[in-house]
Amino acid sequence: MKLEFAFAICAFCAPAAIAAAPAPSCSLVPGWAQEGPARSYVPDTLFDYMDGNAEGYLIYEFVRMNGVNCKKGGDTIVFDVSEMSTPEMAWGIFASNRDPRLPLEKVGTSGQILTRRAIFAKGKYFVELAGNPASDADLRAFMLAMEKRIDGPTELPAAIGWFPEEKLDKSSIRLVPESVLGLSQLKRGFAASYDFGKAFIVKEQSADSAAAVMNKLRQRFSGATPVKVADEAIQATDKYLGRMVFFRKGPFLGGYADVAEGQDPVVLAATLAARIP
Amino acid sequence: MQKLEDSLRYRTLGKTGMKVTSVAFGCMITSDASVIERAADLGINYFDTARVYQGGNNERMVGAALKSRRQKVYISTKSGGRTKEAALTDLDTSLRTLGTDYVDIWYLHGKTHASDLVPELLEAQEIAKKAGKIRFAGFSTHGGFEDVIPAGIALKHFDVILTSYNFTMGSSIDKILDDAKAAGIGLVAMKVMAGGFRTAKAGTRQYDVLKRDGAFLSALKWVLRTPRIDTAIPSMTDSDQLDQNVTAMTSQYGSTDEKLLAAQLRHVGPLVCRGCGGCEGVCSKGLPTSDLVRFAMYADGYGQFALGRERFLELPDEQRAVRCSDCSTCPIRCPNGVDVVGRVARAQELFG
Repeated sequence: MKLEFAFAICAFCAPAAIAAAPAPSCSLVPGWAQEGPARSYVPDTLFDYMDGNAEGYLIYEFVRMNGVNCKKGGDTIVFDVSEMSTPEMAWGIFASNRDPRLPLEKVGTSGQILTRRAIFAKGKYFVELAGNPASDADLRAFMLAMEKRIDGPTELPAAIGWFPEEKLDKSSIRLVPESVLGLSQLKRGFAASYDFGKAFIVKEQSADSAAAVMNKLRQRFSGATPVKVADEAIQATDKYLGRMVFFRKGPFLGGYADVAEGQDPVVLAATLAARIP
Repeated sequence: MQKLEDSLRYRTLGKTGMKVTSVAFGCMITSDASVIERAADLGINYFDTARVYQGGNNERMVGAALKSRRQKVYISTKSGGRTKEAALTDLDTSLRTLGTDYVDIWYLHGKTHASDLVPELLEAQEIAKKAGKIRFAGFSTHGGFEDVIPAGIALKHFDVILTSYNFTMGSSIDKILDDAKAAGIGLVAMKVMAGGFRTAKAGTRQYDVLKRDGAFLSALKWVLRTPRIDTAIPSMTDSDQLDQNVTAMTSQYGSTDEKLLAAQLRHVGPLVCRGCGGCEGVCSKGLPTSDLVRFAMYADGYGQFALGRERFLELPDEQRAVRCSDCSTCPIRCPNGVDVVGRVARAQELFG
């Protein structure tokens, strides 16, 4: 878990390094052989492969997927490598699919072994292995071998390290690809849960566009009052988002919602703002 | 100004007897429970998720959001399990994750062919019903409607069908849906805004234009205009979308909507195959025309030349050798306005 927070040095939205699209291969692990043809999908055809789950990929800016089925005796592994638009998006889809109750694996940017399933992100790639039944050892062997074939950064998005760690549920941190806190004004950003509420960080293109979003939030929460945090901030209460403080620091928007009684949302927001460079 | 709560309209979901709001909630890509809570408080009473969404995290969020409202709402989930055991294991996991003793509808997820509706999966649904873990059985489908929906009707097993249905499909599956309706099967529409909007991502100019013009709302109204659909489950990620979609229940589909959707169809219409199958078997040279239209789309629409060529090269030699220019006339007329001959010729030019 410490890996998640160590030296998160890549930019909030660092552009992806150019990397050759890696193809999954059954020969990565001795004893396994490919069964049937390789497959590949692009956004318009992903529906052909995963009817009913494609949107979950498209919303993380899915670019393409290469996949094969591998077989060893009576075991099979469905092995898919998806390319997303950026490393941030690859980590984002990983985080949305990981099980918050299970430990992470030190593979690529981050990985996890689940029940008969293994996933990891590295660079702008999201790798999935589904075993039937296939042992954890086999899944881990494929993960480690595939990780070596993928170029790209392994640093976590920097914003993850900006959330204060006290009472933070580290497994809750995720990239919300659309409508952070369920608010259309907060288009995309990181969210994290605490035992006293939830926090978010959104990066706008510029300080001006972030200021425009703050204005929209003031309109959205008409009873909001100004408070002193970073460049500008508002405090409000909402039936569904509870006690909130939203602030702007340069191009960044951040804040807390659902803050429990006994906690001061202004103090929390100021602490978060101070950690944003 | 009309209160949102006054916009609620209910329809009966076939023989289930469930009175569902005509706009329900597809939770698949929802990230924040507050949107679901707000929808339930507004009166939306049917929420759809699936075991596979967000690796199970979606069910967890939906369950938490609706826990205190469970008696007032209907919940459906789905399993893609291919065996009885796998499906029933999925169901138990779903119930545990959702934090409920039962789901109202349990769908077999993503069925395309009649042969996908295998007896052991039907048996799994029967077992689950008898155990009180599900109230009604259904299946979801995103394609192959002509095959899988009639088969689903004939089995006399399913209570509900969840199907893709949107304005890009025109009337192509209306007869099939009417047959299902006549059999008492409840019909739930999904992908109601997909089609032409698939490439419009939030934050892009195209998305903003479509949103400003109200095309998203028009697409939903198009689905609700017909009583053959009992409810629709658009995906919603924020409260603004929710508020807008709720108004669709009482808004009439009119000429303005028609113009907006026609404009969108003009944009995608000549390029995108809707998969209706109307052109299959018509080419005198035996070409799989809808496949070729799609191969050209890979290259022109997505910059995936290699993929298009790869698929083209998988065709038999005699089909790869054909050129549309060899024929003086072509009998293919796409009912959806796709320039089939032009697109097939484009594939031959690019990959042949």
